[in-house]
Amino acid sequence: MAVLAGPYVLDAYTINILVRSFLYAATALTVDILWGYTGILTFGQAAFFGIGAYAAGIAFTYMDFSSQTAVLALVAGLAVSAVVAGVTGWISFFHGASPLYVAIVTLALPIIFVQILYSGGTFTGSSSGLVGYNTFDLSVEAWFTICGVGLVVLTMAAWFFVNSDFGRVLVGIRENEQRCTYLGINAPRLKILLMVIMAMIASVAGYAYAGYTVVVAPEIGSFVFGTELVMWVALGGRGTLIGPVLGTIAIDLISAYLSGNLPFVWKLIIGSIFVLVIVALPQGIIPVLKTGLLRLWSVATGRNAAPSIAVPALIEAPERPRAGTGSDAPALNVVDLACSYGSLKVLEGVTFKALGSELLGIIGPNGAGKTTLMRCLSDGYERTGGTVAVFGHAIARTPPQRVVGFGIGRSFQTTSLFETLRVAECLRLARYRLDGTRVLSHATTLALSDSARRVITATGLDRQLAIECRHLSHGMKRALELAMVLALEPSVLLLDEPTAGLTKPERTLIGSILIDLVRREGLCTLIIEHDLDFVREISTRVIVLHQGKVLLNGSVAEVVSSELVRTIYAGGAHREPAP
Amino acid sequence: MTALILDIITSAAILFAVASGLLIILGVLKIVNFAHGGFLTMGGYSALVVTRLGWNAWLAYPAAALSGVLMGAVIERFIIRPLYDRPLDAILATWGLGIIIGQLITIAFGREIQFVQVPITGATNVLGETYSLYRLFLILAAAVVAGSIAALLNATRLGLEARAVIMNEPLARGLGINSGQVRFTTFCIGAGLASLAGALITPLSSVDPNMGVPWLVNAFMLVLVSSVSLASLATAALTLGGAQVLVSTFISPVIGGLTIVVLAALLLRIRPAGFGNG
Repeated sequence: MAVLAGPYVLDAYTINILVRSFLYAATALTVDILWGYTGILTFGQAAFFGIGAYAAGIAFTYMDFSSQTAVLALVAGLAVSAVVAGVTGWISFFHGASPLYVAIVTLALPIIFVQILYSGGTFTGSSSGLVGYNTFDLSVEAWFTICGVGLVVLTMAAWFFVNSDFGRVLVGIRENEQRCTYLGINAPRLKILLMVIMAMIASVAGYAYAGYTVVVAPEIGSFVFGTELVMWVALGGRGTLIGPVLGTIAIDLISAYLSGNLPFVWKLIIGSIFVLVIVALPQGIIPVLKTGLLRLWSVATGRNAAPSIAVPALIEAPERPRAGTGSDAPALNVVDLACSYGSLKVLEGVTFKALGSELLGIIGPNGAGKTTLMRCLSDGYERTGGTVAVFGHAIARTPPQRVVGFGIGRSFQTTSLFETLRVAECLRLARYRLDGTRVLSHATTLALSDSARRVITATGLDRQLAIECRHLSHGMKRALELAMVLALEPSVLLLDEPTAGLTKPERTLIGSILIDLVRREGLCTLIIEHDLDFVREISTRVIVLHQGKVLLNGSVAEVVSSELVRTIYAGGAHREPAP
Repeated sequence: MTALILDIITSAAILFAVASGLLIILGVLKIVNFAHGGFLTMGGYSALVVTRLGWNAWLAYPAAALSGVLMGAVIERFIIRPLYDRPLDAILATWGLGIIIGQLITIAFGREIQFVQVPITGATNVLGETYSLYRLFLILAAAVVAGSIAALLNATRLGLEARAVIMNEPLARGLGINSGQVRFTTFCIGAGLASLAGALITPLSSVDPNMGVPWLVNAFMLVLVSSVSLASLATAALTLGGAQVLVSTFISPVIGGLTIVVLAALLLRIRPAGFGNG
């Protein structure tokens, strides 16, 4: 409404500035989705804005303006942006990359872009850019309406996008990327894809900017603009969509009025507010205002303004063959596995096989290499020697998200969940690999395998689907962790102390579920445990690890009666035998 | 040929001096200090003030280092300390600080390019080539910086504690090391080094409010590929700085300016440990 009414109530100067602000806000929105929602701190959106703008500027200058060149320039800008974003993403996101790294790479991107413009000489107009080309024959009011409506549509689309099931995947990546990869989510690829799409949106904004202002200069693709975008998003409120949009428009508008009189002081003020907000109000200004208003509203009306949350209905997942079904090869075949950090050998010569329907207990004192073994089985990059094959497929050097595809599901020793995601959303993340996800909406049902549903109902998690993970009790978190792994429908289950810190009844419950799983569904299960009694109750076979080597591999009775195991656990390994 | 080799060595020396302050802050505080460019600029203007006051040009270096240390102390106490648990936010806050420093300098000194008195002028003859004495002096300066940091790390109690914090901060704290104090001192020294480097580069780079920015990204890249090790930083400065000089000389200065960034980014993609071990 405001966008349509704008031209009639605002003065020409304000309208003129606002068109530009709208385009900046659209670009800030892409920064918000990348940084606020997905945790990718990017300074590079300016470069894509610049690419879109220069595509238009160069095309209109050298080929003159026509509807064909207009389309050509738009497509060229989109294509170049997509390719550059793809390459940037490939450089920035790989298994084990630090989140700081992308910030540096995307900071370099606009600097490289500007250097290329400088070296373009008269073709790109060097430091003064290109001006005065023919462009769209539109009035300022028409531009205002087009850009304003465009911004509103984009913001709404972004709202549906980030609140969809796919948006939750992005938040999952921000909160705990490592866990995502162990759920079979290819986080690096999703991030690259997202970066490409956001780059293309920024490129369209830049294209419109060039069409509107009839000026393209290196400043619009510079890293200063790139950092300004991040500042606007931080000030408005990262991860809120509306915050960055309003923040950008407000700051750009005030800048336009103030910077004429007080250029340096204004920048100083913005810089100071920015530092203050980062230190004291990391969520930004708009969310603080919003919380205040909501509180006023609930005081004034006596009603709680908190929105109600829809909980998906749990349904049974369709039967599908698990990985490795019908294979003659052993479920897990580990040969001569080694893992060392420098001269420290954590695992050495570990060789064993595990079959379907086996529940293999792995025991050993602290530091024996049990958790390292789990890591080496679930991440192809971890081991330093030997081979691991799942149903005859070697896992080679593949990241965890590929290993999940071979049929391995792993739970973690220290609970590793997604703090701000709800229980149902965590479970949906675990189903992403099998069921995919909706990009603009919510699914109303959540299909889970039988075993996962049994863990959930038996522990009462089904009544807490709408609760954020961080509010769950420790026992509930362990149960959710287990349910998520089971929801992956693995063929080989790696459980790292699934019952640590649980009460006796909770342990018994999980134990009986595990036994049942192995018997009924023929899962190959490896379980690390310290509680020997628990291991004795549930295991079909036991492997004893000691100082990185397999000490014993035999039936429960053999291991329990072993003198060796007793001395290791009693700490008497170095005792001299009695004369 | 001699001139080219000297160019490579002196460029590496400058890059090393510029990046060393960033390196020790990243090592101990685990944050990337985006205010580094601001500190460099401050060092440049400290040299300018010394020139304007008519003092001996050699005083520019202690003056720059001192102003950096003082600024670092204030910033660490009020901005960096609350952000220990939020490294990405610390990046942004230090970036904002860089802007504040830049604007304060602009308000105080204006936007125009300034020139600073140089303590060493003229040229000398090295193996039949005439070469700038100042650039040769920079090799010495970088060596002194490297030597001082190494001595500080290996021969003092602070250095021992800093190395402990670099390796394993929770453990160091458990052993009774006041890691807050170590962080504070390190940030001050890092800021002082950056500011000193800013004064050192003044004869080569013009003095203007944005003088730190071009150095900033190169310094980042060098530090990222050197895995928090002084020796690796020296290797990285020599290799990538050398590549920069070669590309600038034989291909084009503009592409030369991008050499370090592009090579470092590719190197990290292929070998995340960069020039470090492991």
